Amino acid sequence: MNTDELIQALAKDVKPVPRHAVGRRLAIGIGAGAILALVPIVWLLGLNPQLALAIQHYSFWMKWGYTVSLGSCAVVATARLARPDSGKLGWMWLMVIPVLSLAVIGLFEMSRAPPTQWLAMWLGHSWTVCSSLVFLLSMPIFGGLLWSFRHLAPTRLRAAGATAGLTAGAWGATLYCLHCPEVSAIFVLTWYTLGIGLAALAGALVGPRLLRW
Amino acid sequence: MRADESQLKAWMIGGLDGDTACQTQLLRALVPVLEAFYRRRMRDGRDDIDDLVQETLIAVHTRRATFDRDRPFGGWLFAIARYKMVDHFRRGGRTCTIEGLDDILVAEGFEDASNARLDVDRLLDELPPKQSQAIRATRLEGLNTSEAAARAKMGESDVKVSVHRGLKALAARIRGEI
Repeated sequence: MNTDELIQALAKDVKPVPRHAVGRRLAIGIGAGAILALVPIVWLLGLNPQLALAIQHYSFWMKWGYTVSLGSCAVVATARLARPDSGKLGWMWLMVIPVLSLAVIGLFEMSRAPPTQWLAMWLGHSWTVCSSLVFLLSMPIFGGLLWSFRHLAPTRLRAAGATAGLTAGAWGATLYCLHCPEVSAIFVLTWYTLGIGLAALAGALVGPRLLRW
Repeated sequence: MRADESQLKAWMIGGLDGDTACQTQLLRALVPVLEAFYRRRMRDGRDDIDDLVQETLIAVHTRRATFDRDRPFGGWLFAIARYKMVDHFRRGGRTCTIEGLDDILVAEGFEDASNARLDVDRLLDELPPKQSQAIRATRLEGLNTSEAAARAKMGESDVKVSVHRGLKALAARIRGEI
């Protein structure tokens, strides 16, 4: 096909594109993935039976504050990397703020508890499964993002994969809070972060393969 | 004749708003831009470059939703062109270093240079034709004095004097403008 014919063929299909098409597409992907992730939380893991009580306690909002702030930064970075001219991403260092804040809260909580309880605070009741569940719950959201990326144009595939994984991990963890009964900051800092980090790492590994266009 | 940033961006935005004519004009105008871009960076044959140009046009069209109307068109376009070139090399199993996007924008002279060229053209047009011709030949096109003299059928000293007087007049005009 010569170039003129190609241009003729392409220009037959010129649908108007809304201004926030990239954001909308990412939101649909994340939203659909989140609904898919909610299914096993409600049907297999079960919501935290004391959820109504838990949301009155600061620890629930501490967990959500942590995962939502990481998730929001990750979404913004993903939206940037979904465009070919992604620009600078140095501001992503802002994400150390929630991590450090949680560390400070964790140290404060430990300072108020006797040292004999420290191990129990750190491991909670569910340290063996927490990170894996966060990682597994991130998968449907990552899948949704892969769908979003099908019509987007990332040029830094590894970075885009990593931020997509981070987004999926952080929002998967946000949903996991609906099940998770743990209350200590040091627990969240360790096991949630590990799960979210694994999701980001997996995204960075598969990004160059799956996001190619 | 290459279209400049503002014209291409206007067509791009027209295309995003659903204007078929704008989109056609944009894609047509991009063909020489992309050909020049790839030819300058690749030693591959004509066919490879044609393929890349077509692939890039398809990407520009099908992924146009990723263009941010508040950002420069050149940056978006060359990021796609660069990505397609890297992908082409990778498929061929070759590695090669390719400049970063910032360097590409400078090399393609897309924004600053096109603005600067307009400014220079505007200033030169205000000079007498003999002087502007002499300056264009010796200072912009890089001819030496005797080549410029031969082309304009003038004496060498005449060229030198014209350049000298022209530059002096330009300098005065620029100072006056400030």
